[in-house]
Amino acid sequence: MKASKDKYKRIPVKSMKRETGELSLMSLPAVIWYILFCYLPLFGIFFAFKQFTPKPGESLIKNLFINSRWVGFDNFSFLFRSADMPKIIFNTLFYNSILLVLGIAIPVILAVFLAELHSKRLSGLVQMVTVLPYFLSYVIVGYCVYGFLATDEGQINHLLRLFGAEAVQWYQSPQYWRFILIITELWKSTGYTMVIFLCAITAIDRSLYESAMLDGAGFMDRVRYVTLPQLQPTIATIFILRIGSILNSDFGLFYQVPLDSNSLQPVTQTLDVYVYKALMQQANFSYSAATSLFQSVVGCILLIAANTIIKKIDADSSLG
Amino acid sequence: MKRYCIIPILIMILFLAGCGTENGSSSDVVKLRWVTYDNGSTPLAAKEVIEAANRVSEEKIGVTVELEFQPVEKINLMMASGEYYDMVFTSSWVNFFDKNASAGLYYDITDLVQEKTPALYDSIGKYWDCAKAGNRIYAVPVLKDMGAEDMYRLNSDYFEGEKGMEIPERMSFEDLEPYLKAYKDDNPDKYPLAMDKAGLPGYLNFLERIVNPIIVIPYDQQDEVKAIPFWECEELMNRYRTLHRWYKAGYIHPDAATIDSTAADKSFPVRGGVAWRGYQGYSNPADWGFNVKTSIYDGPYLSRTSEQGAMIGICAACDEERATACLKYIELLSTDRKFRDILGYGIEGKHFNYLENGTVIRLPAGSDLYNTKLYQTGSVVNASVESVSSDFLSDPDQWKAVFEGYDTDGIYSRTNGFAYDQSAKEDIIAALNAIYSDYAAELRTGTSDPDEVIPKIKERMEKAGINEVTDDINEQLSEWLKKSGQDLSEETED
Repeated sequence: MKASKDKYKRIPVKSMKRETGELSLMSLPAVIWYILFCYLPLFGIFFAFKQFTPKPGESLIKNLFINSRWVGFDNFSFLFRSADMPKIIFNTLFYNSILLVLGIAIPVILAVFLAELHSKRLSGLVQMVTVLPYFLSYVIVGYCVYGFLATDEGQINHLLRLFGAEAVQWYQSPQYWRFILIITELWKSTGYTMVIFLCAITAIDRSLYESAMLDGAGFMDRVRYVTLPQLQPTIATIFILRIGSILNSDFGLFYQVPLDSNSLQPVTQTLDVYVYKALMQQANFSYSAATSLFQSVVGCILLIAANTIIKKIDADSSLG
Repeated sequence: MKRYCIIPILIMILFLAGCGTENGSSSDVVKLRWVTYDNGSTPLAAKEVIEAANRVSEEKIGVTVELEFQPVEKINLMMASGEYYDMVFTSSWVNFFDKNASAGLYYDITDLVQEKTPALYDSIGKYWDCAKAGNRIYAVPVLKDMGAEDMYRLNSDYFEGEKGMEIPERMSFEDLEPYLKAYKDDNPDKYPLAMDKAGLPGYLNFLERIVNPIIVIPYDQQDEVKAIPFWECEELMNRYRTLHRWYKAGYIHPDAATIDSTAADKSFPVRGGVAWRGYQGYSNPADWGFNVKTSIYDGPYLSRTSEQGAMIGICAACDEERATACLKYIELLSTDRKFRDILGYGIEGKHFNYLENGTVIRLPAGSDLYNTKLYQTGSVVNASVESVSSDFLSDPDQWKAVFEGYDTDGIYSRTNGFAYDQSAKEDIIAALNAIYSDYAAELRTGTSDPDEVIPKIKERMEKAGINEVTDDINEQLSEWLKKSGQDLSEETED
């Protein structure tokens, strides 16, 4: 530890600058990506307040700014035309808040246990197995789930019949799906988040644990007084980032996994699914821009609020 | 959020990409960009086929085309971003004609087509009506099967051979039941009726669908013509009840509402289909492993929706010269059979051959590399008829019989020519679409009981404002009826 600090001190200021210059150069692809895909398309916000009426053969800019007329907030009205909007918003917030809590708690618990494993091999194996589902697309996951839940050929109904129970028409039984969806999402995302926490844990100074052990701290004490406080900034960061997208839902999870089954609609309809269903027939860019803006504005407000609250509690854990 | 921001990005890219290209023509030959619809991808042999067609058309009328096969999303994006094209596929089901025509995206060809291409104008005849918006013509309808004939396709080896049942030429929607029952009794573990989440093909064709498929005008409305929400159509409700009965009896797969396609499973003895009399495409035993007989249960219904099955629209930004070139090209497709067959089937001797009775058979290279549908590339009626195998010849004059059938048995919509301008109610319609899709798949597969579900749909749709839309449609409709009152009485006399 000491040796490495000395090493950094010895580097002259000039070459430091060169070094950081090279390092910032490495961020260039990311910067370009952000400019191209996040800042440049920002003018698309205008779509949300225009009735977009393109004329063929004219440029997009001209079509958007000259040929289309301002309609104020009219494009947002379709969102509130449906009497179900409270239910849709409830669903979105319900799943997102549960996944926000469980999606952090479970990976933290797993990471804490995994860090205690002495066998690096076993630890690596567990990481690989839990991260793997993250790379599957929801279309594939949807069919895997169907393999379990199909009425005739599904594995679960096979088991049920084996034990003499009656087969369940899963895709027509909404009461189970809140659990199925949450379990599916956790199965898919836990491993990935866990790895982030695992990295944070390995970065914790081992001497803290050694001194805790010398003071007679057991496993639970070490977790409580060393690991968790040290993990707090990471947890706070992930929490803040996720709360920003609380009105967004994973379309794959809520549309592909239930195979768009009509009966399940009361429990699977989130804002993104609703918008897809409403606009699939029409290709109305103004409406989709309006929805996107609505989600982003709400997300932005929540993000700033969460960050302010966390700043009050613990200034070190907040962003910026 | 990610998904929505991808749209402006795509537009940006298209826009940036579009800046560079310029339509420069060096000689007198007019080169047209023609975008047609294709669900899959561009046929592999498209390039050489188009080149072959261009050699002919350049010599005959001095026009060549750059034909592109694009999926519906690309076409929608192209229309919405104002990208330049000359001719585009437009219809009642892909790249909606009514919406685009009333938005002024297509060239008004009313005068031009009569002046410059009288042969084309005469060949379409009364079917011009479906291409009108506000009494002006905005597209060229592709003459194909203009009316929908909905049919069941039954395994005749099994039903006629094994069970000794007779398959009539026509039956009613519900007459299918004994066939389903016979198969189910023999095979309790199987499901006789092929059904996926899209439902039985064409079961809605007996309705003129104004806001597809939520607000409809049934063909059999007796005295006054008006639009109604679909649940007020008793015939449709009965179909849903029948389907639900079949579902409960085990004639339909329990997961039908979530199944994407049943195409891979050839064992179903009963399927639905939409075609025309004399159509052989369902009957080739080599495709199915058994003989198939079709039995028509509906139609032919001729409506604006069905007649708009395929059309070619010309870009509003074209100048008169280019628009004329487009029309000349379409005219050539509609009058010159040899030329028409190139874009339809490929290169003679390589992709297809003529059979002795004048029909066409696709060669293996044609089936693999250029297996397009005729309606994608212009007039179907003017193309040679395809035979499915050399021992199973089609009638080369089948279209004559089909069009005569439309004139004699055709059940005509009384509102042909009426286009609903939905711009004022678009937000409600978006909400209605979302509500409808919450129930549609289970309703049309028979999974849900209509008497239980319809009241729920009704309540939600009424809250979303369906009555406002229906009133708006009926207002526009009565105005249209007043304006075209004369035409209408002539039509009903026919």
